[in-house]
Amino acid sequence: MTRVLASRSFRGLATEDAIESIHNHLDSLWLDAPFVQDMDQMTFTTAVIESASNIVQHAEPVGQDPVELGVDIEVRPTLLQARVSAYHAKPPFGPMEPGIPDEDAESGRGLALIEALVTTVTFERQDGTNTWVLTRSSQD
Amino acid sequence: MEFSYEVRDSYAEVKADGRLNMVSAPKLREFVTDVIAGGSNRIVVNLENTAFMDSSGLGALIGCLKAARQAGGDLRIAAVQPQVKMVLELTSMDRVLTSYASAEEAFSND
Repeated sequence: MTRVLASRSFRGLATEDAIESIHNHLDSLWLDAPFVQDMDQMTFTTAVIESASNIVQHAEPVGQDPVELGVDIEVRPTLLQARVSAYHAKPPFGPMEPGIPDEDAESGRGLALIEALVTTVTFERQDGTNTWVLTRSSQD
Repeated sequence: MEFSYEVRDSYAEVKADGRLNMVSAPKLREFVTDVIAGGSNRIVVNLENTAFMDSSGLGALIGCLKAARQAGGDLRIAAVQPQVKMVLELTSMDRVLTSYASAEEAFSND
């Protein structure tokens, strides 16, 4: 495993405010990692925000505790990785595969967009936590 | 995100400055709906200072486009920045949301 050159972590209630906080974390992460190309910064930021927004919009609590959102981002020499987690959440409902909505549809493009932006997307569920792991191999 | 608008000769220019995400997307929709209700059905959304757009923001633009067309007009976008351009292209929505270099050009040939 290659060394981590820069990282950021966020954990908080899965609310709209969390999205702005995570975006600010990403902006400051790129200041710490200016060697990451603009295209990689742009695509990875978009994928992380899409994934986090998906949790805020769709995750449902599994018990009494509200859903919390966690994001852990690491910059490695040739790899960007983010673990985007929904804690205390039910398993995701609905299709996990991205669909292609009609041209005039106003939603339903998030998953396809995430897949287009990153190199790999994997999903894990453990102890009431849904985690999407996004990676993007840096362009050299 | 901050919204503003100005009525020009043949269109209304809406500016959306900041991040067009799941937080601001419903606000853009509401803002443009009000501009249309105020009598402008030809809308240019100037994205010069929109540094970021996600699929929620894209959905809001499509909703605004439909609202403008239902009112007998149209909606066009202008001064698209690289991240927004990328999202439009990856979703193939650049074919639906016509983009112009500047707000002035958007309705100049109509």
